[in-house]
Amino acid sequence: MTNTNEFINHLASKLGRPTPTETPPPVEISVPQYRLSNTEERASIFLQNWQALGGKGAIVKSENDMLQCLKEWFGDLPITWFKDNPQALIAWDMLPSIAESAFSTLNWPLTRYTQSSLDPRDRYSIAAHAELGITGSDLGIALSGTIVMNSDPLRGRVVSLLPPRHLAFIETTKIRNNLFEVLEEISALGTPPAAIEMISGPSRTSDIEMDLSIGVHGPIEVYVVVIDN
Amino acid sequence: MTMFNLTTDQRVDKALANNFLRQATRRATDRLRNNKYKASDELGNWEEWRNAGETIRKHVIANLDFYLHQLIEQMEQRGVHVHLAKTPADAVGIVRNIVREHDAKNVLKSKSMISEEIHLNHALEEDGAAVVETDLGEYIIQIAGEPPSHIIVPAMHKTRQQVADLFEPIAGHALSSDTPTLTRFARIQMREQFLRGDIGITGCNFAVANTGSIVMVTNEGNGRMVSTLPRVQITLMGMERIVPSFRELDIMLNLLARSATGQRLSSYTTILTPPKKSADSDGPEEYHLVILDHNRSEILGDKLFRTALNCIRCGACFNVCPVYRQLGGHAYGSVYSGPIGSVITPLLEKDWKKWGHLPYFSSLCGACTEGCPVRIPLHDLLVKLRMRKTQSGHTPQVEQQIFKAYRYLFTREKTLRRALRLGAHLQRPFVRNHRITGGPPPLSNWTKSRTLPMVAPKPFMQIWADLNNKR
Amino acid sequence: MKVSLFATCLTNAFYPEVDLTMAKILKHLGHTVDVPEGQVCCGQIAFNSGYVDDAREVARTLINSFERSEVVVGPSGSCIAMIHHYYPTLFENEPVYLKKAEDLIHKSYEFTQFVVDVLKKPDLGAHYKAKATYHPSCHATRLLGIGEAPLKLLQHVNGLELLPLPEAQLCCGFGGTFSVKMPKISEAMVAEKAEHVLASGADILLGLDMGCLMNISGYLEKINKPVKTMHIIQLLGEGMKS
Repeated sequence: MTNTNEFINHLASKLGRPTPTETPPPVEISVPQYRLSNTEERASIFLQNWQALGGKGAIVKSENDMLQCLKEWFGDLPITWFKDNPQALIAWDMLPSIAESAFSTLNWPLTRYTQSSLDPRDRYSIAAHAELGITGSDLGIALSGTIVMNSDPLRGRVVSLLPPRHLAFIETTKIRNNLFEVLEEISALGTPPAAIEMISGPSRTSDIEMDLSIGVHGPIEVYVVVIDN
Repeated sequence: MTMFNLTTDQRVDKALANNFLRQATRRATDRLRNNKYKASDELGNWEEWRNAGETIRKHVIANLDFYLHQLIEQMEQRGVHVHLAKTPADAVGIVRNIVREHDAKNVLKSKSMISEEIHLNHALEEDGAAVVETDLGEYIIQIAGEPPSHIIVPAMHKTRQQVADLFEPIAGHALSSDTPTLTRFARIQMREQFLRGDIGITGCNFAVANTGSIVMVTNEGNGRMVSTLPRVQITLMGMERIVPSFRELDIMLNLLARSATGQRLSSYTTILTPPKKSADSDGPEEYHLVILDHNRSEILGDKLFRTALNCIRCGACFNVCPVYRQLGGHAYGSVYSGPIGSVITPLLEKDWKKWGHLPYFSSLCGACTEGCPVRIPLHDLLVKLRMRKTQSGHTPQVEQQIFKAYRYLFTREKTLRRALRLGAHLQRPFVRNHRITGGPPPLSNWTKSRTLPMVAPKPFMQIWADLNNKR
Repeated sequence: MKVSLFATCLTNAFYPEVDLTMAKILKHLGHTVDVPEGQVCCGQIAFNSGYVDDAREVARTLINSFERSEVVVGPSGSCIAMIHHYYPTLFENEPVYLKKAEDLIHKSYEFTQFVVDVLKKPDLGAHYKAKATYHPSCHATRLLGIGEAPLKLLQHVNGLELLPLPEAQLCCGFGGTFSVKMPKISEAMVAEKAEHVLASGADILLGLDMGCLMNISGYLEKINKPVKTMHIIQLLGEGMKS
């Protein structure tokens, strides 16, 4: 194994100068960024773009809206799933309160991922056998129809990954215009979390004859509820 | 690998005789190129984004030592094991040791061009580990035992029937060759593997120096699987793959997704700042970062070629290259094909005998340069490589003689006139219907597939002189 | 204006009528035309093959021959691009010739660029009844940035119907020595180009670089397809006779 100083000094010699001791002044970047005028517009463009990627989505203003929307998407499926698998709905420890109360009203009991088992391997397996993974989102990107999730002890990275379906909640106020704003906001928090996952639509591949196929490894169906209150 | 045992000529013949390959390559590159145009046009100011991309890449490369040092410090402070590899053999050795230490039986891999560059799989398999490529395209070519034919779509050369034939022995039953069935098979097959993985090996699209983060983009989600489920993760990165901070990352991710596949962002963009926090429920507990030099430092020190390090591996140059379009990737014989492969392979591998043909896999039409999101002057670099090869005496004697003669004649206009008059006589045996239809080599290389106009009875310079009553 | 012609090595040897017609058109536009002695070639063949030292001497000869010219015009985007794009690198270590090369860069033009952008004469009053398509040569388009000039000239030709060329941006596979060094790849490329030319439905293929046209016409001839190829200069020259 090569020593770090030796490795870095070798590069400096190739660059023909000693390694700078201070951070080089950042380069100027001037690209006109995509911007929308208000929260409402961002929410609606976000939704449009999410749907264009093959995701389902809706903007809800009340718990009633939310109930309707969940019923329309999933019908009685969750009840059927429970019969075979009591851990069919796997969720983060905390979801937006309007979502929590909707699930109680519907009587769809959620398995909290982090509490599902002490052994990570078991947790992964539970998530892999679940039918629906349910998460919140930290931020969204209107331009690309993207939800952004930071890792955190009360969450699970695999909840949005292993189940065949992923349902995410996002408040309209969390939707930003573009990636730049999202990255800027995350950097302002200091050391980033262990994982920032940005998800734009369902898992997809065009690896066989350039034929678009949905759901190769990640979720096949993705849903987002945009909460406007 | 059989591809690597053929001569360049044999590989070219093989590619040109493969109609499916050529149709598939045309179709795929057309699609990717058109997607890219849509995604770049919608920004309305693509050239400004390219400028920003170029500026950032040049800045990073000019300060590579600083940023790399910063990255390593950030990583080590948090407990990441950073390994520096001078050569592919070093890198393979490092990964091998980690796999042995953990007595890992199941190694999962998401797409990594570095692992192809260092020929990693073979070494791990020799040690008895099962190595699974989890990107669907990589999985297909792994089973087929072939190198990737496109940097973004590695199994572009395979028909769905061929894929079905490759999957059937694994499935143990017949598979219909429609894409949903094949994709579903891969999903189910890989699921078990993901949950059993001991070590995950990923590539790295960008490393963020000031936060010590690794950025990975995938569309399938396999990158997330490989970087979340196994207890130990190894990330392989080429040492130039750096951005200073999140601010520059915005530009680079936009350029990458839009140029590679025409997406605004890839389906999954993951920014890892390892290792996981102790209270986090998911994610690897042990994280290794392997940083590979493999003559990249030589390129860094070589002003003529330094810009080759600016590449972000988006594949846009493949999709506009008229040579790649006819041949696909395997005819190049190298792990990296297409225009950027023709540039970096001779620089990384430093073997003119083996890779000397690559700079000539280009008509120098400049489409690659025009298509590059970070404005690498790819076709200029190809010319400079030809120059290097020539100056180091690796071109054929005959060719050297021809250019000596060229220099002599083309600096003496009057002598050239006499030579042309001689040519007008000598061409006679080869003329049919006022066209030259044959001749000695290298002329015959032309006349095999084309005719040539006759040398004019009088060159223009003579006609003009006569018109103006000069000598 | 006194215009010096750069008769490129290819047109000089194989297509002298292109150089002659270029001279006629420029005279017709009221300019004095001369052809400085000693000029031969831009040096691109050697340069693109990696023989930089040989290319430099050929380039030097060209620079010398145009030293006293006011304006230099040539019938090839590729040769002019060689001067503009690569001469500075070629003479980077020779201040005297670097200066001379820069002078040449500032005063040299490809023909259509010169007529349309400098002389502002897109309408030469030509008549030519035909269905034609236009191949935008790579170096003219990508290195010199010539886009509209040739099209403007052609749009003003009375009776000429200009048909779109599918996948026009694709290189024809000429590439100078590429065509003999990598003949099979080159053939595959020109075969595809020919396919698109035939699909365009045109009777004439037009271009502004005889290298590309020689390649495409040589292939079309070999496969017995009767599409005529002409340099824009030739078509204009014919059209201006009537």
